Amino acid sequence: MDRRDFLAGSAAALVLGGVKPLRAEDNYPSRAITLINPFPPGGAADVVGRPFGAALEAVVKQPVVIETKAGAAGQVGGQFAANAKPDGYTLLVHIVSISGFEAVDKLFDRKPKFTRADFIPIARFTSGPMALLVNAETPYKTVKDLVEDAKKRPNEIIFSSSGLYGALHLPTVLFAKAAGIQMRHLPTNGGGPALTALLGNNAQVLVSSIAAANAHIKSGKVRALASFSAERPSSLPDVPTLKEQGYDVEFYLWVGLFAPKGTPEAVVRKLREHTKIAANSEAFKTAVKNIGDEHAYLDGPEFQKFWDEDAKRVEDAVQTIGKVQG
Amino acid sequence: MEGTIDSLLLGFSVAFRPDVLVYAFLGCLVGTLVGVLPGIGPLTGISILLPVTFGLDATKAVIMLAGIYYGSQYGGSTTSILMRIPGEASSVMTCIDGYAMARRGRGGAALCIAAGGSFVAGTFGLIVLTIVAPPLAAFAVRFGPPEYAALLVLGLIFLSYMSSTSLLRTLVMAVVGLMLGMVGIDSMTGHFRYSFDLPELGDGIGIVPVAVGLFGLGEILSTPSAKVVSDVAAPRLRELLPTRQEWRQSAMPILRGSVLGFFVGIIPGSAHIISSFLSYALERRLSKHPEEFGKGAVAGVAGPESANNSASTGAFVPMLALGVPTGPITAVLIGALAIHGVAAGPNLVSEHPDVFWGFVASMYVGNLMLLALNLPLVGLFVSVLRIPYSYLYPLIIMFCIVGVYAVNNSIVDVWIMLIMGVLGYGLRKFGFDPAPLVLGLVIAPIFELSLRQSLIMSNGDYLIFLQRPVSLALVAVSAGLLLLAAKSYVLRRKDWRASLAEAEAGEAQ
Amino acid sequence: MTIRADHVAGAALIATGLLIFALSGDLPFGTLAFPGAGFLPKIIAAFIVAMGALLVAGAARSAPFRALGWDDLKHAAPVLAIAVAATALYTQLGFAVTLVLMIFALLVLVERKKLVAAGSYSVIVVALAYVLFTVLRAPIPAGPFGF
Repeated sequence: MDRRDFLAGSAAALVLGGVKPLRAEDNYPSRAITLINPFPPGGAADVVGRPFGAALEAVVKQPVVIETKAGAAGQVGGQFAANAKPDGYTLLVHIVSISGFEAVDKLFDRKPKFTRADFIPIARFTSGPMALLVNAETPYKTVKDLVEDAKKRPNEIIFSSSGLYGALHLPTVLFAKAAGIQMRHLPTNGGGPALTALLGNNAQVLVSSIAAANAHIKSGKVRALASFSAERPSSLPDVPTLKEQGYDVEFYLWVGLFAPKGTPEAVVRKLREHTKIAANSEAFKTAVKNIGDEHAYLDGPEFQKFWDEDAKRVEDAVQTIGKVQG
Repeated sequence: MEGTIDSLLLGFSVAFRPDVLVYAFLGCLVGTLVGVLPGIGPLTGISILLPVTFGLDATKAVIMLAGIYYGSQYGGSTTSILMRIPGEASSVMTCIDGYAMARRGRGGAALCIAAGGSFVAGTFGLIVLTIVAPPLAAFAVRFGPPEYAALLVLGLIFLSYMSSTSLLRTLVMAVVGLMLGMVGIDSMTGHFRYSFDLPELGDGIGIVPVAVGLFGLGEILSTPSAKVVSDVAAPRLRELLPTRQEWRQSAMPILRGSVLGFFVGIIPGSAHIISSFLSYALERRLSKHPEEFGKGAVAGVAGPESANNSASTGAFVPMLALGVPTGPITAVLIGALAIHGVAAGPNLVSEHPDVFWGFVASMYVGNLMLLALNLPLVGLFVSVLRIPYSYLYPLIIMFCIVGVYAVNNSIVDVWIMLIMGVLGYGLRKFGFDPAPLVLGLVIAPIFELSLRQSLIMSNGDYLIFLQRPVSLALVAVSAGLLLLAAKSYVLRRKDWRASLAEAEAGEAQ
Repeated sequence: MTIRADHVAGAALIATGLLIFALSGDLPFGTLAFPGAGFLPKIIAAFIVAMGALLVAGAARSAPFRALGWDDLKHAAPVLAIAVAATALYTQLGFAVTLVLMIFALLVLVERKKLVAAGSYSVIVVALAYVLFTVLRAPIPAGPFGF
């Protein structure tokens, strides 16, 4: 926190205090806002959160600081934000996997570190399309090829992921379930290593965000068989969606903004207004386009509705994976 | 070849533009600073300057950010040598002989050798990078889990050369380190292991808190201020530079470290950290005077410092040639390029030659800048040793706390550092060397992951380690080393370790 | 029989190994072909116990435990206590206040330096470090006064 702001704030409180009771939310934001980034620098939440922070700074005329609290696939930052003072000055930028922690903890009979109810959704920024990729050395040209071969050789084809129950594991499992196939899981410790495993043909299949893999799709090292969106994404117009091919699966790598539960109503309303302006600014839209993501702004209530539906998908995927043997 | 030279000339025409030079210098400067300060590593440095790069073009952005990365490898040795705090995880080995040299009044020489070795290694790495990046990168991606597991086994076998204590004591430390590396979420099954419901322990125990605690704080706890004669360490000005003999002793280790580090560095994963451990063990194995290691051997500084620097250059190979990150830092660089609409990947060279070659050329320039930046700083840094010990060690404790906290913004890490400080004090009392413990901690998670990944790939068949050429070669080298050791044991030919153990036992009686 | 250093070290290792076994009850061992979450930890714990036993077995050659000498503890204990206190206060009082107090306490309580020297040294050193870390925007905790 900036010292000058603190003093100014206290002075204002002292002066005005005698006249009428001044509530903190009336002049929100009166000091720096901290956005918690629960992933290592360069991760999905970081590359979207930073330009958003810059755009928000211009709107609220207060510094917006990104604080990295990485760890345990986003759980450390999530827990930190859930326990932060609900005053609107500590917010969380998180991705689709925020919905999965509770289900995983229940699977292991652990007390959840936080639940979805601990957060108020403020806005969804992006909704990145994902694609089903295979190494170009494999013979699969279509999803049908892959599914047929996988049925012939159950549990033989290997897919990599960024980690167990992670944002790349969940959609793969949903697809495998819809197609009725079994594939062998090769967990790695991040999106980069998962892609490396595919490129080195140590894994044959990977579901990845198109943004991360597009350069390799273009160079012909990996082949995109299908996308996971409802409609064909603009970055891969020639690749059919899974729905077109008869698999009822949808999955997005979205990034959203959350406030801890208990944040005053008035603060949430103001925050939504500011966020709406910042998230729809040209600067932010350009930044999102540059990283290859898809700008897909949703305001609090619609985001809540989307989130509830999305969480069902995530929980379904976690249940499908279940507890891994061994 | 001619094409390469033309391209490189194009690169230099970009790199020598005054505005580009300014950003390269800024990157190197911040890199040196974050490298010198313990805890704040290149990742923090890059996150600091990442917002600044939004206003720049892709070339300048990536040149500045890369400068932080390789610049921090230069500075990393400084606190290791002066205060026995490893500035970066890859500078742990430098603590041992670097600090011993400083205690003998050769701190300036150690710093100069570290800087010189870093320069040679960085430049060597760049030349290889310029000539053969694409085929090397293809090799690096093929380096899958079985190769990884085999490499780490080889690293573990090298262990016995890493420590001056007896083989049993070295193994004890390595095993304890491996155990510490088991803490955290099991990435295969999702179990929380030994983390006592602390989510901060979910990703395991960090290397920096452990190394800083064992080496930095542990040293302070075992050194009562009353016993320190302070003028021992303060060097006179003419003693700042290495002697001719010291340069001679460091020449081969620098070259070997450069080659070793580069090839370990191109492997995706966290392999670059173990490059300095491997180099240290290698130098000790090859040295005619292995007993000097741990007491201020020049090769013990020159080898590892060169290795970690050329490893950081090697790490750019898969990133530039394929767009594949080798670690968290190259991942950020790829992200930074993406923010500017430049997709790192196999087509980077053809689509954005100015970015690619400008970046490569700027690293040649950056290495020169770093040498020019670091050598004059040696005089300044060494004056730290002039502070009387009773005033110096509170300062070191401050850096331990602040630095460890800054790594992950986590107070839990500071508590780990304190516990490790106490452990380091105890280990020293009982005659154990903490270096193998740190290596065990580094290796454990990667080894476990790659072993289990390999078995998933082969459906539980251990033969996979013999069916792939690279892993077969690594396994063969490991087996050869074991056989050599067994031979000397069977023939009762005493090697230096046996005589050392005897000498130790003799001293103890 | 004299108790020797390696008796103590070995016993500590054996205890550690057993403790690890006790803590890893619910971790599945898996099979050799598919190691589980408890596979390596349990093997390593077994190694720790075995090596502890080896240390004890060969302890006769090590120095007697009494001869180790603990007089440096008189220095180490207060230093550690002050560092622990500083860590406990670090996120509450913030960077500047905590560290000035810590260095001051170390110099006055442990090193018996004069108050003025200790005070000015700690303030100057921390101020310099504060500037350095703030310029680098490293994560440092702010206290109730914002520094």
